[in-house]
Amino acid sequence: MLLNKFLAIGCTLLCFSAFAQEQKQDSIKPEPLQEVFITATRTNRNLQSLPLPGAVIDSATIMRAGVNRLSEILAEQTGLVTVPDFGGGEGLQMQGLDSAYTLILIDGVPLVGRSAGTFDLSRITVGNIERIEIVKGASSSLYGSEALAGVINIITKKPKKEGINGSVSYRYGAFDTHDLNATVNFKKNKFYGTVFANHFATNGYDLDKRDDLKTVEAYNNTTIQPKVYYDFTNNLKLITSVRLYNQKQDYNSSIDNIFYTGGGEIDEINAQLRLDQKWSSRFRAEYELYATNYQTSQFLEDPAGNTYEEGSTFYDQWLLRPELRGMLNLGKGLLTTGVGMNYETLNRSYFENLAIFNSQYVYTQYDYNPTDKLNILAGARFDNHNQYSSQLSPKLAVRYDLTDSFSLKTSMGYGYKAPDFRQLYFDFNNAAVGYTVLGYNVAESILSQMEANGQIQREPGIDFVKPLKAESSINYNFGANYKKGKFSVDANLFYNTITNLIDTRVVARKLNAEGTQNNSIFSYRNISKVQTYGLESNATYKFTDNFSATAGYQYLIAKNPTTIDEIKNGGAAGIIRDPNTNQTIRIKTSDYFGLPNRSRHTANLKIYYTVPEWKTDITLRVIYRSKYGLNDKNGNGIIDNYDDFVEGYTLTNLSVGQPVLKKFYIQAGANNLFDFTNAAQVSNIPGRQWFAKLQYNF
Amino acid sequence: MNKYFITAFLALSSLVFTSCGNDDDNTLNQQPVSVETQTFSNLFANQTGGQGEAPGGTYTKFSFSQNAVVTGDDWDVAFRGTTILVNGGAPLATDEPARTGLGAVAILSGVLFNEVGAIPAASMFVQDSASAYAIPTGSGNGWYSYNSETHIITAMAGKVFVVKTHDGKYAKMEILSYYKDAPANPTQETETRYYKFNFAYQPDGTTF
Repeated sequence: MLLNKFLAIGCTLLCFSAFAQEQKQDSIKPEPLQEVFITATRTNRNLQSLPLPGAVIDSATIMRAGVNRLSEILAEQTGLVTVPDFGGGEGLQMQGLDSAYTLILIDGVPLVGRSAGTFDLSRITVGNIERIEIVKGASSSLYGSEALAGVINIITKKPKKEGINGSVSYRYGAFDTHDLNATVNFKKNKFYGTVFANHFATNGYDLDKRDDLKTVEAYNNTTIQPKVYYDFTNNLKLITSVRLYNQKQDYNSSIDNIFYTGGGEIDEINAQLRLDQKWSSRFRAEYELYATNYQTSQFLEDPAGNTYEEGSTFYDQWLLRPELRGMLNLGKGLLTTGVGMNYETLNRSYFENLAIFNSQYVYTQYDYNPTDKLNILAGARFDNHNQYSSQLSPKLAVRYDLTDSFSLKTSMGYGYKAPDFRQLYFDFNNAAVGYTVLGYNVAESILSQMEANGQIQREPGIDFVKPLKAESSINYNFGANYKKGKFSVDANLFYNTITNLIDTRVVARKLNAEGTQNNSIFSYRNISKVQTYGLESNATYKFTDNFSATAGYQYLIAKNPTTIDEIKNGGAAGIIRDPNTNQTIRIKTSDYFGLPNRSRHTANLKIYYTVPEWKTDITLRVIYRSKYGLNDKNGNGIIDNYDDFVEGYTLTNLSVGQPVLKKFYIQAGANNLFDFTNAAQVSNIPGRQWFAKLQYNF
Repeated sequence: MNKYFITAFLALSSLVFTSCGNDDDNTLNQQPVSVETQTFSNLFANQTGGQGEAPGGTYTKFSFSQNAVVTGDDWDVAFRGTTILVNGGAPLATDEPARTGLGAVAILSGVLFNEVGAIPAASMFVQDSASAYAIPTGSGNGWYSYNSETHIITAMAGKVFVVKTHDGKYAKMEILSYYKDAPANPTQETETRYYKFNFAYQPDGTTF
C-alpha cells in the first residue's frame, strides 16, 4: 500500500518534470470579495455590489481547506447544511429548504441525475474549481425549475498564462482514501485550453459494526474534463467543454436474512459548446448548446450468483438544451434576454414507458443603475412545459449604497420546482413492506384496471383530472453590508413561503393484503406548505495581511403553517403522549419545533494564518450545528419540544500547508479533528479523517 | 278472626307496597355506574406470516366488561398483529372469528381520552365488512403510524376508539403501545405485538 503511494507520486513527478517552468510560489490567501460574480445576473458583476444575497468560495479557500469533494467545502459555509441521502450521497439544505430545491450548475449549465429528487454533491471533485458562486433566494427568473432555494454555480478553471503549465497532486487520507488530480493548461495566442483528470477512491466507512453492511460502501470515481477555447477574433470566441464522470460502488443488502452483494455504476457526460460574439460596444450575444446524459445501474446477486431482480435497477436521463442570450448596454442599464428549450428524457426501472419532457422558455432582465448609489435588478422568465402548467417567475432586487461603507439591499423573487419524472410516472411496488407508489399521470389508468380486477378499494373523492402543479415559492430578502478597512460584516433576513409542495397520499387500499405493514397505494398531490425564515450574518476581520478570521451564523425557523393551524384548532397534531406515563396532553403552538432535520442555529468560525517567515498556511474551521429533530416519538406525527432530538455538535477541521522549493506544496491535516461521531443518528459523519497531500505546480 | 286476618293482611300488604314503592323510587334515583379508566397490558396479538407472506394465526379476543382475554363468542375486539376487529358486521378474510354481536366502532381524532364523555352519534359507528375493516389497516390509517426509517410502530396520540360492545354497551379505548412492557424508547429489537391500552367500560349507555 505504502509502496503504491510512493510509486504513484514518483511516476507523476517524473512525467511532468519535463515541463518545469519558473514560477513564484504565492502564498494562498482567500480574497473572495474582489471576485467577479456572474451567477446572479448572467453578466459580470462584483459580489460586493450585488443586490442579492450571495457568497463566493474561491480556489484559495478550497485549496487551504484541503478537501476533495464539493459536499465537503459547501458544508463549511454559513447557512448551508449537508444532509445524508439514500445510499450515502450528500444533499444540501439552503435557507432551510430541502436539497431538492437548489439548482446545481457547472459553468452555468445544470447537472441532472436526481433519481429521488436530491442531488448528490459528492459527485463533484474540487480539483479543478476556480470558484463556487452561491446565490441565495429564489432564482427561477433566470434559471427556471429547481432554483427555488437558490443556485450553486461551480466555475472551473481556465488557463491564464501563455505556454504550458499545470499541476499534479496526490492526497491520501483516512478510510483508505486516495485523491489524484492532474491539470494541464496550454495557451498559445488564440488557442488555449485545459485538460483535467481526477481519480478518487475510498473504502467507505462503517458506523454500525453489528451487521455486515457498511454505512457507506467502498467506491471510486474518475472525472475527466477537457476544455478548449479558440478566439477567432477579439469579438468572436469559441468554448467547448466536455466532462466525463464514472463511478463504481459496492452495493450490499441484507433482505430476509440473505446477504446479497453487487455493485452500482454511474456514467455521466456533460458537453457544452458556446460561441460568444461581440457585435458592437453595446451588444453582445452568446450561443450555447448543452447536452448531458446521466446513467446509473445497480445489481444484486444472492450468494449462489443468481441475480436478485428486485434489487437490480437502472436509470438513464438525457437533457438537451440550446440557449441564446443577448446583452444590450443601454448606458445606465444592461438589458439581458435569453431564449431556450429543454428536451429531457428518462428511462428507468419502475417506469412503464420512456418519459419525455419538452419545455421552452424565455427570460429577460434589466440591470439598472439610475444613480451611482442605486442598483435595480428586475427580471422575469416564462416557462412553457408539456406536462404541467406554465410558470411565470418574476424577480426584483434593489441595492442602495448609503455611504461608501454601508449599503442596504432587498429582493423579492418567485421560484418553482416542476413535478419531476418520478412524481408523474412512477410504478413502484415494495413487496416486502407491501405498499405501491404510482406517479400522478399513470395512477388513473393503473387504479381503474386494479379496481376492475377487484384488487383494490379506492379512497373516495380522489381523481387525477387536473394536472399536478409545480411547487412554488415566494422569497424575500432584506440585508445590509458594512465594510470599512479591515472589517466587513453583512446580515440578511430571509423569508420563504412555499406552497403546493408535492407529497404522497393514500389513494387506494389493496384488498386481501392484510397483515403487511402497509397495504396502501400512494400517489402524489399538491398539499403541503412550508415557511422558512431567519437571519444570516457573516463578519470578516483582516488583522494583518497574513491573518484573517471570518465568522458566520444563521438563525432558522422552518415550519409547516398547516400544522400550526391544526394545533391551534385542537387537531391531531396538537396531542402527544408522554411515553413514560402514557398520558396524553395537548401542546401549544409554541411547542411545535418545526420540520425534521433543521437546526435553529448554525455557526462557523474560520481562521486563516500564514506564518510570515516560512509561508506556512494554517487554516482552522470550526462548524457548529444546534440540535434538530429527526423522528416523531410521541404520536402526533410532528417534531415538537417533547420529542427526542439529535444533540447539537461541533466539527473542527484543521489543515497546515507549506510551500516547498518553489513548485511543491505539502499539506496535512484532519477533518473532524476531535473525532465526533453519532453513529445512531448522524450517518454522514464517519469520524476523524486525517490526510496528507503533495502538489506539484509546473 | 277474619277481621283480624284482613286487617293484618291489609297492613302487611300496605307495608309491602310502600316498601316496593320506596324500592322503585330508590331504583329511579340511583346514580349511574361510575366509569373508571382501566389499563390492560401485554395483550399478545400473535400472528404468523406477514411481510409479504399471507398472515395467519388466531385472533386474540378481548371483552371490556370482563377486562380479560376471552375465547368464546362474548368478545368485543380481537387483535392479530396490527389488525383490530370488532364483533359486528361481516368478516373480510376466512380465518377471522365469526361476528356474533352488535359491535361497531367510532374513531375520534384529536381528543384526549379523559375528554371523551358523550357517546358519538349512531351514524359515526362503523362495523367490519367484507370489503373493509372498521379500524383501517396500514400506517397512518387506523391506530398507528409506522416510521420506515426507524421501523418503529407508534400509536397515534389523540385517537380514541369508542367501541360498541357485542351486547350493545359502550367502551372507549386508547392504544398506548405495541411493544412488550411498553418501554418509553422501543427499538427495532423490542418484541412487538404486545398491546397496552387504556379503556373505560360504560354498561348503562350514558356518558363516560
